[in-house]
Order: sequence, then structure tokens, then C-alpha cells
Amino acid sequence: MSTAVSLTGGRGSRIRRAAGIARYVLTCWKLNLAAAMEYRASFFMLAVMMFVNNCIWLVFWAIFFNRFPAVNGWELRDVMLLWGISAGGFGWSSVLFGNYPRIAPIVANGELDVFLTQPKPLLLNVLVSRMSLTAMGDFLFGVAIYALAGEHTLIGAAKYALGLLISGLLFLFVTLAAGSLAFFFGHAEGMAFQLFNGLVALSTYPTDIFKGTARIVLFTVLPAGFISYAPIGLLRRFDGTFVWLAAAAVAAFGLLAVSLFAVGVRRYTSGNRMAMRG
Amino acid sequence: MMTPALAKWHKYRAVGIITVKQQLHYRVDFIVRALFLLLILFIFIHLWRAAYTSSGSETIEGFALNQIIWYLVFAEAVTMACPQLCVRIEEEVKQGEVAVRLIRPIAYNGFHYMTYLAEAGLRFIVQLAAGSAIAWAYMGSPLFGWGWAGLAALLPGAFTVAFLLNLAVALLAFWVEETRGMEFVLQKLNFTVGGMLLPLELMPDWLERVCGWLPFQAVLYFPARMGVAFDGGRLAAFLLTQWGWAAALAVLCAFIYRRGVRKLNVNGG
Repeated sequence: MSTAVSLTGGRGSRIRRAAGIARYVLTCWKLNLAAAMEYRASFFMLAVMMFVNNCIWLVFWAIFFNRFPAVNGWELRDVMLLWGISAGGFGWSSVLFGNYPRIAPIVANGELDVFLTQPKPLLLNVLVSRMSLTAMGDFLFGVAIYALAGEHTLIGAAKYALGLLISGLLFLFVTLAAGSLAFFFGHAEGMAFQLFNGLVALSTYPTDIFKGTARIVLFTVLPAGFISYAPIGLLRRFDGTFVWLAAAAVAAFGLLAVSLFAVGVRRYTSGNRMAMRG
Repeated sequence: MMTPALAKWHKYRAVGIITVKQQLHYRVDFIVRALFLLLILFIFIHLWRAAYTSSGSETIEGFALNQIIWYLVFAEAVTMACPQLCVRIEEEVKQGEVAVRLIRPIAYNGFHYMTYLAEAGLRFIVQLAAGSAIAWAYMGSPLFGWGWAGLAALLPGAFTVAFLLNLAVALLAFWVEETRGMEFVLQKLNFTVGGMLLPLELMPDWLERVCGWLPFQAVLYFPARMGVAFDGGRLAAFLLTQWGWAAALAVLCAFIYRRGVRKLNVNGG
């Protein structure tokens, strides 16, 4: 009986703790949004700029496919959906966890100190403490592309949402893993930045233009292929193998990123930089 | 005895030399940009190779695959060589540094022109070397004969028009706080109607005609096109168009500058 009470008590405490963290995360998101709204004009301008940027790339693709109607089986609609999933996934992850592309400079500049003093889960606290303003435009672009070229059925919407989830989580975990290298190599900002840029660039071109080694890299070291193949393997026809492999890649990179961060924090040496967090 | 014109030339030449010396210290920045260029070209090589294979023809609108790839090398090298003038002038205005710049015995626009040319020239050489490495490995040697001379002849005009287009936008910082949004639009116009992503000949006819009336083609399309397919007759027309736009934009920039400098309120410095 006493064991049962203790177990229930332990579970209850865990639930209360999880609820507390969820409330904290929600408060951070609200505050981030409120801070962005403080400079409303700038916020909207940045979001619109990113939306326009993505549209201009689609203009290029429209011209390209006007000249070559199909390239290795890919058509304009596939590339539009590719951009929707890539930009949309990057968008939601950067709006909600906006610090993940900045892990390397945060570690290198000793900015982690301020988070270490707070009684909250460290990694989550760092990630939710910033919202990317331009990424809102990316997310809205992803939604607009679904409205324009997506399959408007319940299954179609669910598949697109799954694509956005896989894409956002891959951006988050791969970039976090790359940024966490700063714990081990000091100034790893350049390397992390290049890996991030590479992932973004490679995830916006049809996977099937790459052959041989380049294709292997796309599905292993720099898993942009799990984002860029989604219009074919997930949306056009549901390829179970591809979806399971994509889920496994998300899990593997998630584990790698969290482990690197956790091991890295133990090596972290504090700086003498004074910082405050509002 | 030094004539006033010669003295002026020495002054601007010194600005150019100092800029080159300063830039040589930013080696990491050069490497980062070069790596990004390599990645972009790697992707484009695969993309265009797949497109040519799908089309089943050796040439498209007169361009063979290796010409398209080298066209992209030249256009990307020019694009990545161009400094961010808007950011620079916007910061000068915000931090008050412009006050010091304006009282110096050197023309404000002229000073920025020389720093822009020196920086762009040096960066172009580095980017061209990086781009050539990958294009050469995949596509073979760039045997374009007089094309190289055509490219060299059109580069000063290309950087001048790029500078003036950016200056026209950057000088708006004398009135408004943020010019980066407008710079962004300008950059995207260069990417598309300027012919960075693909030569104008490959665009639909109506769009190609529209592009022909805009100054953006003078920055990227002219030098890159002439580099891969030399045409003596068109070189003269390109040069004339390029410097015609440069003259028109110079007048526009002088007008904006004169109006703006009267309006400018500077804090700090």
C-alpha cells in the first residue's frame, strides 16, 4: 500500500513538474510574441521580406520548369511543395525554438551563464528564449503553399503536417548538434553556420538531381534528403519505408543533439560576462 | 607640381589601397563566402546536368551545359563580391559616424565608390578562383577565348552600376531608419530579372523583353554572358548600355544625396 502511495505521489509530482514546465514554455512564447509586437512595423516587414524571398525562388522554379517541364520526374508542383515543407518546417521550429541556430555563439561567448542560474531545464530554456521574426514569414509561406498546391483532404492535410513536423525537427536537431560542437572546439560558429547553411540549401532542391555519394550524404550526415524527398515519398505517394526512415533519422539526430549538448555542458567553463534576461 | 585633378586621383587611389589592405585581414570571411559559393555551385551543377539530360539536347538557346555552369560561376562571383553598402551607410547614419565622414576633404559618394570598387574587385578574384575550382573539376577548362577579355571589359561597369543602384537605396537612410528591406528587394531583383539564376535567353520572351529595359542586366547578365559566349558586336552595345545606366544612376544618386544631406540630423559621431 505504501509503495502504491509513493508511486502515485511520485507520478503526481512528475505531472505537476511537467505542467509547470509547459506553463513556463507557454509564457516564454507569449512574452517573445509580445516583445516582437513592440516593434510591430519591423516584425511585419521582416516576415513579409522572408515571404517575398521564398516567392522569388518560386518564380525562378516556374521559369525553370517552363523551359524543362519535368526533371528526373519532378514537376513544378513538387518543387512548390518542397519549398512549402522546407520553409514551413524551418518556420515553426524557429518561431518556437528560435535560439537553436545560435547555440554555437551562445556557448562561445559565455552567454549560457544566465540560463544556468535559472531553475528550469537548461536546453529547453535556451531554445524557447528567442523567437525568430523572419521565420514567421517562412511558416506562413508554408501554409500558403499548402493552400495553393496541397491536397485539400483530411489525409492530405495530415501528410503535409507530418512533413512540416519532420522538417522542423530535423532543422532543430541537426543545427543543435552542430552548434553543440562549440562545447568541444571553442569557436565552432563558422562550422555550425556552414552546416546550417548546407542543410537549408540542400533541403530546397529536388533530391533526385543528386546521384552517388552526394545522395548518400543527403540521407546520412546532412539529412536534407528526408526533407527534400517528402513531396514524392510522403505527399505524392505514401512510401512507408521513407516515412519510417525519416522518423528514425529525426529520433537519431534528436538523441545525438541532446546528448552532445548534455555532455558539452559538463565541459562548459563560465566566462566573466555580465548578462541579464528580461 | 601636382595638378588638382592629379591630387584628387591620388586621394581616391589611397582610399582604394587602404581598403584592399583592410580586406586582406578578413581571411575567414573570404573562406566562409567561398565555401558557400562552392555549395551553391555544386547544387546548380547537378540541377542543370539533370535538366540537360531530361531535355535530351546538347544546347539550349545556344548555351551548352558547360557554358551555363561557367555563366553561373561568373554571375555568382560578381554577386558575392558586392559589399553590403546599405548596411554600411545605415550604420554610419545611426551611429553618427556620417558627421565625421561629411567633413572630410573627400566627396562622400566618391569615398564609398572607391571602397566599394576595391573591396568588390578583391572579393571577385577570390570568388572566381573558388568557383573555377569546382566548375573546372566538373565541366572542364573554360576555353572561352576572347570571352575572358569581354568579361574583364564589362566588370568595371557592372560594379559601378551595382554600386549606384545600392547607393540610391542606401542614401534613403538620410530620411528613414531602415533601408535593409529595400536593399533586400533590390538584391532579389538582381537574382531574377538581373539574370543571376539563369541567362535572360532562357526566360519567357515577354520577361526577357522586360529585363532588357531594366538596369539589373548590366550588373550580372552582361559580364557573365559575354564571358561564356563572346560577341564583339554585342560587347559594344553592352558597354554603351552599361555606362548609359551608370550615368543616369549617377545623376539620380547626386540628386538624392543633395536633398538628403540637407535633411540629415546627426546624433553622436
